Amino acid sequence: MSFEGKLALVTGSGRGIGRATALKLASLGCDIIVNYFRRRETAESTAKDIQALGVRAEVIKANVGDPAKIDAMFDTIANKFGYLDIFVSNAASGVGRPIMDVDVKAWDWTMDINAKAFLLCVQRAAKLMEGRAGTVVSISSLGSRFVWPTYAAVGVSKAALEALTRYLAIEMIPKGIRVNAVSASAVNTEALQFYIREGYVKDSKQTTPTGRMVTPEDVANVVAFLCSDEAFMIRGQTIIVDGGTSVAPFVPGGQEQA
Amino acid sequence: MSVEEQIRDIVSRIAHIDKSIITRESTFKEMKADSLDVVQALVAVEEAFDIEIPDEEAQKFQNFGDFVSYVESQTAKKDEA
Ligand SMILES: NC(=O)c1ccc[n+]([C@@H]2O[C@H](COP(=O)([O-])OP(=O)(O)OC[C@H]3O[C@@H](n4cnc5c(N)ncnc54)[C@H](OP(=O)(O)O)[C@@H]3O)[C@@H](O)[C@H]2O)c1
Repeated sequence: MSFEGKLALVTGSGRGIGRATALKLASLGCDIIVNYFRRRETAESTAKDIQALGVRAEVIKANVGDPAKIDAMFDTIANKFGYLDIFVSNAASGVGRPIMDVDVKAWDWTMDINAKAFLLCVQRAAKLMEGRAGTVVSISSLGSRFVWPTYAAVGVSKAALEALTRYLAIEMIPKGIRVNAVSASAVNTEALQFYIREGYVKDSKQTTPTGRMVTPEDVANVVAFLCSDEAFMIRGQTIIVDGGTSVAPFVPGGQEQA
Repeated sequence: MSVEEQIRDIVSRIAHIDKSIITRESTFKEMKADSLDVVQALVAVEEAFDIEIPDEEAQKFQNFGDFVSYVESQTAKKDEA
């Protein structure tokens, strides 16, 4: 697998799963655009780590919840590079509340960043991918199809993201762009700390049949595969990375592995 | 408009509260601003003044006055540069 000479934009790639994905693609020769929201230093340090792998890294600040900022980000990419090969929609935010407390502001905030941004970014990315056999991957979570406490707004936004992934996969065929999603169960990043603090996520070692939690790198590996030519015939799918959790709700976790 | 007035406008718009009840001593809790309101206010103020407010700094704000003082110090720094 090689992405030499290609350019990827990974939203929210200063830290967490976005960072792991950016580093994975960079390790395979891809130049990277690191997008961040408010943590500039974190994004810059990720960019340094990417450059250390011998590829180019650019940092662009943009709140993907704001359509004008999305446009500005893609204007910058168009001016600086004029092309794009890989787009990973990873940035997400949300409000962890019971449904009765999800007000208009919380709903819009979550939907704008997690679902609407995907539509607007792909519309701009597709133009930069013309004639380049581009690939798009969105990052979803098991909360799109299973109910997690206080996760309604985010879960619904992820369901929209996965549905949009399917529609895009088909409508983008004439443009030669492949679109898929990767969905994970609990991954130990900062985003998870809220759910651990609130007691919603227990020790995943015990709840994952595989006996360990999914890592950001587990997700990144699948994203890279979906971006590779080997995945050519996979279209509009949501690939689940959860160590077996979703197919085995009644199997105790922490099994011995050979 | 002073920095303080501009921030008061932003906070009142985002948290849907009357400007007149926001004093320098008002806490976010008294202003009924939840964590989403606070993030949105930080983003709006960062944009309005073209500054960055790291979360570690924002967490130290005890009240509206601390928020204003921090922004004033950052804008002053920018003017010097
Ligand atoms: N952690 C999990 O358990 C888990 C499980 C399944 C799926 N996922 C999905 O995986 C993705 C990454 O999650 P994570 O756990 O790595 O999250 P994280 O550690 O909380 O990081 C979130 C990232 O998104 C960026 N971001 C947030 N709001 C943004 C906005 N409005 N505009 C641009 N960037 C924004 C942040 O930028 P700053 O650094 O500048 O703040 C940060 O880079 C998300 O789509 C999430 O839903 C996570």
